[in-house]
Amino acid sequence: MNAAIEIESLSKLYRRRNGDDIHAVRPLHLAVAPGQVFCFLGSNGAGKTTTIKMACGLVIPTTGTVRLNGYDVRKQRGQAMQQIGAVLEGTRNIYWRMNAWQNLIYFGRLKGVPSGKLLKTRAEALLRELDLWERRKDAVREFSRGMQQKVAIAAALITDPPIVLLDEPTLGLDVKASRTVQTWIEQLTKERGKTVVLTTHQLDMAENLCDRVAIMSQGRLLANRPIAELLALFRQEFYQVRVRAPIKPEAVELFPGFVASQENGHTVLSGALSDDLTVFDLAARARRVGLDLVSIAQAEPNLEEVFVELVDQAEQLASETTPQPMVQ
Amino acid sequence: MVGTVLLNETYKRFILLWSYKFDFLTQTFMIGFLFIGISFFISGGSPDPERMAPALLGYLIWFFAVAAMSDMSWGIREETQTGTLEQMYMSPLPSGLLLAGRSVASLAWSSMIVSLVGGILLLLLGIRIPIRLGGVPIFLLTIAGLYGFAFILGGATLLFKQVESLANLLQNMLLFLNGSFLTVEQMPSWLEIAARTLPTTQGIVVLRRVVLDGSSLTTVWQDGSLPWLVIHSTFYLLVGWSVFLWCEHLARKRGILGQY
Repeated sequence: MNAAIEIESLSKLYRRRNGDDIHAVRPLHLAVAPGQVFCFLGSNGAGKTTTIKMACGLVIPTTGTVRLNGYDVRKQRGQAMQQIGAVLEGTRNIYWRMNAWQNLIYFGRLKGVPSGKLLKTRAEALLRELDLWERRKDAVREFSRGMQQKVAIAAALITDPPIVLLDEPTLGLDVKASRTVQTWIEQLTKERGKTVVLTTHQLDMAENLCDRVAIMSQGRLLANRPIAELLALFRQEFYQVRVRAPIKPEAVELFPGFVASQENGHTVLSGALSDDLTVFDLAARARRVGLDLVSIAQAEPNLEEVFVELVDQAEQLASETTPQPMVQ
Repeated sequence: MVGTVLLNETYKRFILLWSYKFDFLTQTFMIGFLFIGISFFISGGSPDPERMAPALLGYLIWFFAVAAMSDMSWGIREETQTGTLEQMYMSPLPSGLLLAGRSVASLAWSSMIVSLVGGILLLLLGIRIPIRLGGVPIFLLTIAGLYGFAFILGGATLLFKQVESLANLLQNMLLFLNGSFLTVEQMPSWLEIAARTLPTTQGIVVLRRVVLDGSSLTTVWQDGSLPWLVIHSTFYLLVGWSVFLWCEHLARKRGILGQY
């Protein structure tokens, strides 16, 4: 099956006035299968938004191509743009002084949906689905942040695009609104077969929602795997050291990369083993400082732990050398 | 497709305009009041309706310039801030077509204000401006050059974002140098040369001759003033269009299309 999104050798280099180069995105290759929820994870400045904007044709890449359902974003812009609907980060994306209905009609026409029955039917269906039908005539500026975001997503979907790009779709939303948006993203793929690409800092959301994640750091792709595979890969490295009673901070420092937490009167040290630290070393160190060891066991890492581990490793490596993708 | 784009941009423009009703009314009043104020000032308190007709014609053209330049500076910057500009660039339609649609919507809006203000001023001050069909192509040529000039400002907005001060400066320059209140022939020669290079000056000169003096299009063609307007407006339109598209390309290359 053809990929919904194909990214080949895509890179973006910005040159500052002082001659310094900033590699916003280093040569990137990836493909997103149709019907998947694909998530870009990364710290600020990792290159996620630049990648999304290159896919939207808003930023011209330094090298490489993006194809949306086979259409090259630069060479076949018109057809490529018909494949996507996007909500970009940190902006309104819609006119707050217009009402929800007017926004959908305007953006529908702007994006090539013929005026008339089709456009109106789609607008009505979207507004009803989002529980906005009753308030369709209210100016969007009077809506809550969550409702405004729903209108922005509806405007992105008015052309019924097969691919939806969402850059930080839950940023600034309260818990309830964030859940509504997440449920809707789920429906988009499961019920309508859309391909959804999103970026987020909410790792729990990514873990719940995404089929596959790409982790980026400083413009580099560190990992691109189905979530289950990625977690399994790190399962062998993740350990939990359980100790009776609280321990001193100096003792925690003996376990580099491990994080201490309290659980049922025990101190739990969780983290990944490094190349120069084995399970036996963990036990030996615990005994040496007189810790009352309860257990040492392999742990199921969550996406957040894998993310932190990968990004830390990448940053460490970047300061020493130019690394290749770490987990492909 | 062209019709849909024009209709859509005009639809948006008028909805947004309606949402700023108070601003619209204030602006309309301000424009009318400014003309009356300047006219009284330069005529020593007793404006002559006959002498004010050419000034009003030039003044109304100046308002079209203000509207076009505001749309291309403040308007584009606001859309950058709200992210709607990036949404516009994600349209499958060519950006040149969207720019044209935006310009027509801006023209429709400013025509509405000009009709309203112009009508009130004509009645209030007893000014008579005859309706002559020959004025229509001259008006359109003048407006084409004017929008070309505004596109340059729009391109600068895409790259440098904060160009409102420059837009204000240019708007004020146009008011005093486009020959509305003081004809270019009355200016010192160095200033006359500068004034004649501005986008609306030649249009106002020819428009007055056709509409107020009753000269035919053949006459203004034969004396060279119309050909000069054609060259002038075509130059501004082509240069402005190219500059805008070039700036848009640069903004995409630098990744700053949506930055503000």
